[in-house]
Amino acid sequence: MIKTWELDPNFKYEILKEPGGEHLTACFQCSTCTLGCPLTEIIPTYNPRRMIQMSLLGMRNEVLSNPDLWVCLICQTCTARCPQDVQIADLLGAIRRIAEREEETGKLKISSVRPSFDKAFMHQIQKYGRLYDMGLAMEYYKVKEGSFIKGMMAMSKDYKKFGMRMFKKGKMGVKSMFPEKVKDREVMRKIFERMGAEKK
Amino acid sequence: MSNLKYAYFPGCPSESTAIDQDMSVKAVFERLGVELEEMEDWNCCGASEVEDPEIVYALNARNLAIAEKKGLNIMTPCSICYYNLQRSNKVLRENEELRKKIHSIDSSLTYNGGVEVKHVVDALVNDIGIEEISSKVQKKVNVKVAPYYGCYMGRPPLTAFDDPDAPILMDRLIEVIGGEVVPFDYRKAKCCGGPLMMTVPDIAFKMARDILEGAKNAGADCIVLACPLCGMMLDAKQEDIEEAFGIKIGLPVLYITQLLGLALGISPDKLGLNKNVVDTKAIVGRVV
Repeated sequence: MIKTWELDPNFKYEILKEPGGEHLTACFQCSTCTLGCPLTEIIPTYNPRRMIQMSLLGMRNEVLSNPDLWVCLICQTCTARCPQDVQIADLLGAIRRIAEREEETGKLKISSVRPSFDKAFMHQIQKYGRLYDMGLAMEYYKVKEGSFIKGMMAMSKDYKKFGMRMFKKGKMGVKSMFPEKVKDREVMRKIFERMGAEKK
Repeated sequence: MSNLKYAYFPGCPSESTAIDQDMSVKAVFERLGVELEEMEDWNCCGASEVEDPEIVYALNARNLAIAEKKGLNIMTPCSICYYNLQRSNKVLRENEELRKKIHSIDSSLTYNGGVEVKHVVDALVNDIGIEEISSKVQKKVNVKVAPYYGCYMGRPPLTAFDDPDAPILMDRLIEVIGGEVVPFDYRKAKCCGGPLMMTVPDIAFKMARDILEGAKNAGADCIVLACPLCGMMLDAKQEDIEEAFGIKIGLPVLYITQLLGLALGISPDKLGLNKNVVDTKAIVGRVV
């Protein structure tokens, strides 16, 4: 149920300002995005059309705390089919970043582990300029499990068989233990420091 | 084709989990007489984890600038790298304000819009051409193939070079080397679940299972694809998916350049066919 006294009329403007969220107000609620979404086969209640309408109405808390925000595959089917060019895949990304900033300031608790994974991934690029799989996995599991030791235990449980399989095929080995690095790593640090909506 | 040359953007998995793709791309282009010059000091495209588009544009401004200095167009074998490089290219060409903002960070990010970005499938079919490839085919691939395109060849519209729902370019490559394309309809371009592999694995596995079972039920001997993340889900994780659902799939998964390379007469070892996780010997044996 909508509680009109809790609506935030500025929420849509907040999204419109976020890179990727620029086309929010073009939505005319036709539901093409939801009908084509492959996730609805697995989660029948998954409904990007509804998330857009809730955003337009200003249901800020409900949208930002909706766990469905974090399962989008970014497969772009919705974006390709939208007759209004809302660019829904990017739009949901914009809303996810607003939610992440809310969490950083302590106003929201995100139950999904996806922000931790994305952050750990970005740290690898910031540090090395390329993806370092081992560094990503160690950082992600540490954050997800709450400590380095617990993280290592969970990681070896999840990835022991997989790791052996890849090792046997020569796809992981001693070389994978160390990061590949670009020479100019200073510019990587500068990109993450200077770019992004929150730095405006 | 001797005048065609690309700046090669291998992508982060090229030396590890997708080394088979990297090897086969290099071998195929060499056989076709198209030179690949690996880009000096390229950086990660941002993958799907860097969600802020402006950071993606800045990361790829550097990559585009590296190719521009060489006067070469970029070719990449990874669909996600392609998407990020191409959308950055299109946005940076249009948006002068953004170019200036990125330039102000560091002079190595100065890009003037003079580079074209090509996915390996686009380069093979539209730059090199089916006729040219056909003239170099030495062997017939007697295999039934499920062509799996995934998300970023036909979507989003900004960067697409094939149809969003019914892509066709890999079908044409398979047909020219004598393979039989099995009916794979909407699954051709349905997501493999890759982006959720680490964070919501149960959804990722269900997505991948649908592609694998769809290919098997269509009577395919193998799946052919052109993206390292799809390769990770459908090949490297196939055993985990079988275990999770208590099913048996056992379907070989090849990069399109591996199957094409066999038809061009390149040795299986040079194409990395001993590195695919599901054994590919049965497929190799049917190329004569």
